[in-house]
Amino acid sequence: MRKLLFIMAGMGVLFASPSPAFARLNVFACEPEWAALTEEIGGDLVDVTSATNARQDVHHIRAKPSLLAAVRKADLVFCSGASLEIGWLPILIKKAGGPDVQPETIGWIMASDYVERLGVLQQVDRSMGHIHPEGNPHVHLDPYNISIVASVLEDRLAMIDPDNAAQYNANLDRFLGHWQAMTKKWEADARALKGQNVVVYHNAWAYLLKWLGMDIAASLEPKPGVPPTASHLESVLKSVEGKNVKAILVSPYEDEDAAEWLSSKSGIPVVHMPFTVGGNDNADDLDGLFSETIRLLKEAQ
Amino acid sequence: MSKKLLLAAASVALFSISPALAASDTDLEALRNEIRAMQSAYESKIQELEQKVETLQTQQSQTAERVAATEPAAGNAVPATATRQVNDNSFNPEIGVILQGKYQSFSENSSEFAGFAVGEEAERGEEGFGIDETELNFSANVDNLFRGSATVALHEHEGETEVEIEEAYVETTSLPYGLQAKGGRFFSELGYLNSHHSHADDFADRPLPNRAFLDSNYGDDGVQISAVLPTEIYSEIGGGVYRGDDFPGGGANGGDIGSWTAYGRVGGDIGDNTSWRLGASTLQVEGGERSANEDAVIFNGDSGLYIADARMVYAPTGNNAEQEITLQGEYFYRDEDGSYNDMDAGTGDVAYDDHQSGWYTQGVYKFHPQWRLGARYSQLYAGDVPAGLAGSALDDGGHDPWAASAMVDWTNSEFSRARVQFNREELAGGSKDNQIILQYIMSLGAHGAHAY
Repeated sequence: MRKLLFIMAGMGVLFASPSPAFARLNVFACEPEWAALTEEIGGDLVDVTSATNARQDVHHIRAKPSLLAAVRKADLVFCSGASLEIGWLPILIKKAGGPDVQPETIGWIMASDYVERLGVLQQVDRSMGHIHPEGNPHVHLDPYNISIVASVLEDRLAMIDPDNAAQYNANLDRFLGHWQAMTKKWEADARALKGQNVVVYHNAWAYLLKWLGMDIAASLEPKPGVPPTASHLESVLKSVEGKNVKAILVSPYEDEDAAEWLSSKSGIPVVHMPFTVGGNDNADDLDGLFSETIRLLKEAQ
Repeated sequence: MSKKLLLAAASVALFSISPALAASDTDLEALRNEIRAMQSAYESKIQELEQKVETLQTQQSQTAERVAATEPAAGNAVPATATRQVNDNSFNPEIGVILQGKYQSFSENSSEFAGFAVGEEAERGEEGFGIDETELNFSANVDNLFRGSATVALHEHEGETEVEIEEAYVETTSLPYGLQAKGGRFFSELGYLNSHHSHADDFADRPLPNRAFLDSNYGDDGVQISAVLPTEIYSEIGGGVYRGDDFPGGGANGGDIGSWTAYGRVGGDIGDNTSWRLGASTLQVEGGERSANEDAVIFNGDSGLYIADARMVYAPTGNNAEQEITLQGEYFYRDEDGSYNDMDAGTGDVAYDDHQSGWYTQGVYKFHPQWRLGARYSQLYAGDVPAGLAGSALDDGGHDPWAASAMVDWTNSEFSRARVQFNREELAGGSKDNQIILQYIMSLGAHGAHAY
């Protein structure tokens, strides 16, 4: 019995991580936008890992070794949710996630759980393509959603690391003050965009377009997650002819061939949007992401 | 006041039915201008007010959010601000069906591994059309600590439908310190391919060493424990103990541990676009009695298998969904100490203390989101046999079995794939088997994520 206790104590020493009082919080963010938000609210008190970058399609990520190592030390897992990461996050959590970073715990934030989701479907079938029954998971391109999620994040950081709660709170206040002013500015800048139509590759733009009062004229994908086909592009071309369509939006990870083809036939310009933080040189934080997004939409001619 | 009167008068003038009462054109124009001015003044006022209301509303909702969010939550529970859709069937297990079909054509009538006695799953399958293997999978979280999964495979063998419990296990989901425990029947962590189901493979059949040494998959009844270590790069260690009934084990009486495994792995990234993993593992069967070659060959004794595996995934454009190159290889070494008996050759029990080895390497290039090309080469070395086994199935007759494969597959969505594969197999001296395999793999219902 005593021997067993010794062994168990030894295992405890071997596996125990350093005391959290001296270590910075480790945040595992699935997407760059949530990593950027964590940096705003957590500041120097957190170390954040972004599982993906702007050039990767978050739907199709491999549960690769480096991500297992990152989840292993995570104090907080911060993702979009609504099944966006269903192909890889569950494996990482099951294999390497501790009891504090499981669904329904304080170390688990799925941003789409806290905002009003668009495109929630009552009836789903896989013939509809790669759809998310919980609604559209790409919630980050609406600045009001960012504000809401920032508050949730501040709250969780303060619960996990109560010693620094005042600092997180101050960071949140500073961020929201600035963010609300910027939101007003972006809205003023984008007033002329209201009512305009765009063509998208994948409907990852629903929240942005709703915020700006814009509409989707067509999607280049015949069904969500299914790459464009020649026959579908022909029908898109027919549907946009004669309509006043301002731009074809393409994110850094989407194939631009289909967009370029449609542009050459219809004369509608292709706009390379940053989509997330790091999506172009100026979109190096959330501020830059939204400023670039509005600028590019306005400049599209 | 006078303005209001004027407005009233103007309204009367403008809207009165009788044109006879209309004022002169210049008066009308003046009035119109005045009204327009007032209108725009009101509009800007209204806009200002709307904006104020909006600002107040956001501030209010954010305050509410923060107030709600700062309320202390009980234990580990999530603060009650989350809204989540609850479906009626959310407590049912996830049910998935994998449908696989094949058309196979071989140029040789028979296929034997020179120098190896192999299990049923190592054989090349039947010619012509056939439903290869139908997998039914049920899985769900049992509670906050356990997850359960059962995979039943239906396949035909010599005209009979066989039901096989491929896997039936429970595993922990949330142990601390990167630990995970698994119990029941499951595919052990051994090398790279062994723990994967065949529907996730990059080729229509398993490489030769997996077929010869593991009968395609080693899946036994037992427990396995693993730990992802708290290191900068990924590292994991683990191991398990088993009944020892599945090939290369066999004849376990259930009273003892028949086999055990151990493995270690490291992995990481090189830049943004490349990831890698290296592993070493072993499977030790002690005192097993293994029957092979359709019960014609019996091995009695200890069998130790050692595997080294490597895998690298490179995304040329940085986006794996678009283009991807996967390189993978495994090396196998088996040390056996016991006795072989080839009943067909009538050798009787012959003492055997030697080793065999084998390896494969493969590359798969996804050049389009839906299209992939792949090539694979595998090789086996049977080693020397004692004089008593000369001319038996264990005698390789101076030939080392090898196989080369090329495949192209089309993936319509993550739930459907169709494949064409060509194999050239020279498993025994004088045997030159050209094979064509057409295959589809479809997944219905729930389909769990695949590991790296």
